[in-house]
Amino acid sequence: MAIFEKGTVIKTEFGAPIEIVSYIAGGGQGDVYVVNYNGKRKALKWYKAGVMRDPDAFYKNLKRNAEHGSPDKAFLWPDAVTEHRDGTFGYIMDLRPEGYYELGKLLGSPKYNFKTFKAATDACLKIVSAFRILHNNGYSYQDLNDGNFFINPDTGDVRICDNDNVAPNGTSTGILGKPRYMAPEIVVGGGKVLPDTNSDRYSLSAILFLILFLSHPLEGKRWLVPCLTDALAEKLYGSEALFICDPKDSSNGPVRNIHTNLLNRWGFMPDYLKDMFLKAFSKEVLFTPGRRIAEVDWLKVLVRFRSDIVNCSCGNETFIQNAATTKCDRCGKNVVVTNVLGLPAYDMTAAKGSRIYRCQVGICNADEALDPVMAVVAKPTGELGLKNMTSLVFNATTPSGKSKQIAPQDIIPFIPGIKIEAYGKTVELK
Amino acid sequence: MPSTDGVIIKKVLPIIYVIDTSGSMSGERIATVNAAMRECEQVLRDKASDSPDNELKIGALTFSSGAEWLTKTGLVSLEDFYWNDAKAGGVTDLGAALNELNDKLSRSAFLKSETGCCVPVIIFMSDGCPTDSWEKSLAKISAENRWFASARKIAIAIGEDADTDILKKLVGNVEAVVRSNDLETLQKLIVAVSASASMLAGKSRLANDEASGGEILDNALTEVEGDVEIEKDTAPVDEPAPAPVDTGDGWSDDDWS
Ligand SMILES: Nc1ncnc2c1ncn2[C@@H]1O[C@H](COP(=O)(O)OP(=O)(O)OP(=O)(O)O)[C@@H](O)[C@H]1O
Ligand SMILES: [Zn+2]
Repeated sequence: MAIFEKGTVIKTEFGAPIEIVSYIAGGGQGDVYVVNYNGKRKALKWYKAGVMRDPDAFYKNLKRNAEHGSPDKAFLWPDAVTEHRDGTFGYIMDLRPEGYYELGKLLGSPKYNFKTFKAATDACLKIVSAFRILHNNGYSYQDLNDGNFFINPDTGDVRICDNDNVAPNGTSTGILGKPRYMAPEIVVGGGKVLPDTNSDRYSLSAILFLILFLSHPLEGKRWLVPCLTDALAEKLYGSEALFICDPKDSSNGPVRNIHTNLLNRWGFMPDYLKDMFLKAFSKEVLFTPGRRIAEVDWLKVLVRFRSDIVNCSCGNETFIQNAATTKCDRCGKNVVVTNVLGLPAYDMTAAKGSRIYRCQVGICNADEALDPVMAVVAKPTGELGLKNMTSLVFNATTPSGKSKQIAPQDIIPFIPGIKIEAYGKTVELK
Repeated sequence: MPSTDGVIIKKVLPIIYVIDTSGSMSGERIATVNAAMRECEQVLRDKASDSPDNELKIGALTFSSGAEWLTKTGLVSLEDFYWNDAKAGGVTDLGAALNELNDKLSRSAFLKSETGCCVPVIIFMSDGCPTDSWEKSLAKISAENRWFASARKIAIAIGEDADTDILKKLVGNVEAVVRSNDLETLQKLIVAVSASASMLAGKSRLANDEASGGEILDNALTEVEGDVEIEKDTAPVDEPAPAPVDTGDGWSDDDWS
């Protein structure tokens, strides 16, 4: 419920005015308004009095986050905290842009489905990359769930909100997380085990699985019980957590005509992607928080998957198999893969629009993982080239053994046999 | 590629209203309940239509001289939920309502679902004292019906004459009873409790809280201003409800162990 009238002015902790423009919506913890602040339209989150266990600690944490500044532009990070008023307070952040919807809506309503798998994959990439940076900055998010992401279903662009529980890893704000997204150790912890980076990583895996398979990783046959009581939920998401695709134990497997999203999609996905999910939700990783998949490992498979999503001439997104020519599953024509890029770890499909990212060649820092290194471009004739997307000069060797240099923005013709030295590794054109 | 269309599969979240329509409810009281229920139509649609957490379904049972379902054919989904005004008159056969619940809270009746249900929410509203042998019915449903026993139950006492001790027994002492003495508050309360019940699964949890009827009520109360008299008594009720037993009614296979 709106408690501030339009035109009301509140102040930041430093006395700068914040003018209420309109009310957006309310949630469990507070209300969100459009405000004028510092000459710009911003969002104000205003907490309800009395909902927090320890408001002073919460305020301090929020203030410190605002002072440190946003780790990545994907976060709708607190810009400034307000003064106290009527026993409570709020903070200012950017407004969610037009055309962005909560991930929960994308999952729960057919109106907001992702337009393409490329968009869904891009959303995964943005989310993982943002969390890599957040974690590397020493924070844990604590309450990762489908309500935290505003996503544009056409482009896959992401904004991450609710950053008010973000805290230095190892400290707690009292939050445990949302049911169905909490890591098993939190579910069974009875409030004594608190979220950290490792539990964030479980929730992150669940979010990725939900986006790509439109299914929850633990909601298989067992979830179909007539009534999911709290005691059963504690087993399903906690003490007896079992992946719906567990290869050794099918007692929580998918059921025909019910788990249709999963059954339709699983078979299409490339093995390297499925293997990562099999690992992320293996019993070992589910029950050993320290073994959770690191963000960089997700980035590696997701960029690879992105390059394997190629548009057929009929418009269908075709998932290329083994970086080789693959039959379009809609029109039956071949989507021809003439070339591949030999990366240190695997061969990647080279089609128009394919990109090599920094995390695919050698070790890198969190904030550069998704920097494009090279991009496959095409002339109108279809002839492929490779463009240097960095500001570095790369050394290359031609098939006949001559040395060449590739300056920033330079495009070389895609000739099999060329080897490019980048970041201490070799990329071979095949 | 597979289709990008589709939605995540959801369990059904039953929200069941059990409404006193005895003679003492006639006039403004029943009018207020009807107005609140019409408001709930819209509020629940706004809040819960696209929910990824569950699929809301509504049931409504009235009791006066006997008990009658307003949703006769079963629980209705949000798009089919239109409130038909309830009318008041007669005595307060709470026991008859409990017997009806016992009958219909079953997989072979109202709780049939391919994907199964979440724990049901039952919202009682009453302004008086039951006139029938409700205690026997309560003992029976508590013992026989695990849906009822596990449900998150909330009771709204309407006016000063409502017997909150009885309502406490009905919802169990750890659950929630609230009394409202003015009609404006009553209307807000019914809407807020409904909204809060529908959103419980989407709420992040804090250390040491549990998803109970009490929490649904607490969340609702932060939404409602005005003088709401809260009676959340932690004192045990006289006779603790007997432990539920398996009767084979759909529940014996609720577990996979
Ligand atoms: N930066 C923003 N720009 C626009 N809308 C926003 C912004 N942040 C939040 N909202 C909207 O405001 C509403 C409430 O926000 P929020 O989810 O932060 O509340 P909450 O109290 O944390 O609720 P919950 O307990 O449900 O998470 C939501 O509908 C959300 O979409
Ligand atoms: Zn095609």
